[in-house]
Amino acid sequence: MSGKRANPSQPARFAQEKSFLRFTLGQRWEHAILLLSGLVLLLTGLPQKYREFSLSQDLLSTPERVDLIRQIHHIAAIILALEVLYHIVRIIVLMARRKLPADLLPNWQDLRDAGQMLQYLLFMRKDKPKFGRYNFEQKVTYWFVFFSIAIMGISGFIIWFPVKFTQFLPGGVVPAAKLAHSTESVVLAIFIIIWHVYHVHIERMNLSMFTGRLSEDEMHEFHEKEYDRLTGQTGGKK
Amino acid sequence: MRLRTFLFVTGLVICIVSFGFAVSDASAGPSQAKEAAIVSSAPSQIDDSGCLACHNKEGFSVELDSGETLSLNINTDAFEQSTHGSNNVTCVTCHSDISSFPHPERTTETLRDVKLKYYTSCQQCHAEQFTQTLDSVHQKSLAAGNNNAAVCADCHNPHTQQKITDGTGNLLPAARLHIPETCAKCHGAIYDTYKESVHGKALTEEENADVPTCIDCHGVHNIQDPTTATFRNSTPYLCAKCHTDAAIMQKYGLSTEVLNTYVADFHGTTVVLFDKTFPDQPTNKPVCTDCHGFHDVARGDDPEKGLSVRGNLLARCQQCHPDATANFPDSWLSHYIPSPEKYPMVYYINLFYKFFIPAVLGPMAILVVMDFSRMMINRFRKPKPVVAEKPAVKAKKSKPADEESGHD
Repeated sequence: MSGKRANPSQPARFAQEKSFLRFTLGQRWEHAILLLSGLVLLLTGLPQKYREFSLSQDLLSTPERVDLIRQIHHIAAIILALEVLYHIVRIIVLMARRKLPADLLPNWQDLRDAGQMLQYLLFMRKDKPKFGRYNFEQKVTYWFVFFSIAIMGISGFIIWFPVKFTQFLPGGVVPAAKLAHSTESVVLAIFIIIWHVYHVHIERMNLSMFTGRLSEDEMHEFHEKEYDRLTGQTGGKK
Repeated sequence: MRLRTFLFVTGLVICIVSFGFAVSDASAGPSQAKEAAIVSSAPSQIDDSGCLACHNKEGFSVELDSGETLSLNINTDAFEQSTHGSNNVTCVTCHSDISSFPHPERTTETLRDVKLKYYTSCQQCHAEQFTQTLDSVHQKSLAAGNNNAAVCADCHNPHTQQKITDGTGNLLPAARLHIPETCAKCHGAIYDTYKESVHGKALTEEENADVPTCIDCHGVHNIQDPTTATFRNSTPYLCAKCHTDAAIMQKYGLSTEVLNTYVADFHGTTVVLFDKTFPDQPTNKPVCTDCHGFHDVARGDDPEKGLSVRGNLLARCQQCHPDATANFPDSWLSHYIPSPEKYPMVYYINLFYKFFIPAVLGPMAILVVMDFSRMMINRFRKPKPVVAEKPAVKAKKSKPADEESGHD
């Protein structure tokens, strides 16, 4: 959709299509690892959660297969844990160097944006609000995933090593972790499907997390404030 | 017209009457057949009195080749009161090889041989039970050469056996009380353990008919090997037969949620899964008996074995989780359904998600649907000012200009 938008009116611009770097290579790798390990975790976790389904029972019919699927789950979990560790260490390092952009932090503007968006969706406004580098939908995505992974990571390690954790925690945390782990996984899966997939694939095809770049048009349309900041302009596009 | 009516009515009457006969015949069938079977199974007309003339003599016996003494005395009163004696089963029904005097030469050398020689004659009348025993662990053991494996007459003395079932084949309550004693004839050590268990004590000391005897878990005639993985994996359902029966459990204030809660927790999920898919594979996950014991199963509050005593439970956990510490047993919900009192953390997390899911994901879904609708509406509305479809894109392009006016 976004690609089409560029051509008919200003064919001349097609050749000199400007684009902006949206995600660094490192960030794209992080997303890829998150996506893959998350997918593996989901696919190996669901049969364990929903054991009453015949498909799960086919998968888990022998002790060897249960062990295998849990091993895959654990390996993916370690990969994701390392990725999370890298992510957090990087944030800390950037913070220490005073180089961490605050773009992703939620602020009051996001609430105002969300309110305006709601007005727009209720036909009380003609236009969507103007967004900065990350709109409130994207921030919600990041923080939802962030906290889900925190919950599932912690609870996951508790149910992986119940004997170790109950040496200093009450035993009740184990069934609590089991419940939180399995429920949160489904919450996150539903969230990704309805919220994230909609916004990056259905509302518009936004592959910037893979290509790393966002076209000038898209940047202007969806992140106008950021566009203005990057181009040093104020107001609309030329 | 009249003739036709007459014929029709006659035909109808014949049909109804013959149907009635057919039905009454059918219902009468089985019982008649049964009686016939009992009568015809007596092969000859030899009267018991002929046999008892000698065999009711006290102390009548013979020494076998093995040196053992085979008693040949039949207590006439006991036999007549037995289910066989009172149902006209005669001596030669079973001892069909003996029909005259002098008797044919004895071929058996030991007491055991005598029993093994005659047990197959039970199938003449008790074909169903006999066939079941053929699959039993006892028969397999016998076939493997263990002559001491139990056959019919080891449990049911044919000369004194009382009636143990009611008319419909259900065991009489009085008969239940003596089952463990019967099995104890060979399995004495197990009986001693069972007698001390919560089940065994209730049976032997209180004559409680609710508790399981040997056969409730092991079966009667088709007793299976209880050491197989199949038997072990099916244990939860075995115990659940009684322990999910509210009518029995409420008498003792016991929960009927023991199976549900077991299946919902770590261990049970896996065991039940294996039981469904490949019931014969061994699993290292515990079944009921691994924690509660089987022949020695105790009350929950039993100071030495009861699992509601913390130390006992921890000791059980440590059998599989050797490094488990004092907190560890709480990681198993102990068959409780989480509530604010029991396992509040689990209860409140569950409660949280009950609200969180509809309260957060619901509005998100609504927003997405609204967003999609608005997008679609825009797409079909915008072309209006311009002619063709293509300029629709163009119309969108002019958005920034609109936006400015839209903003504060």
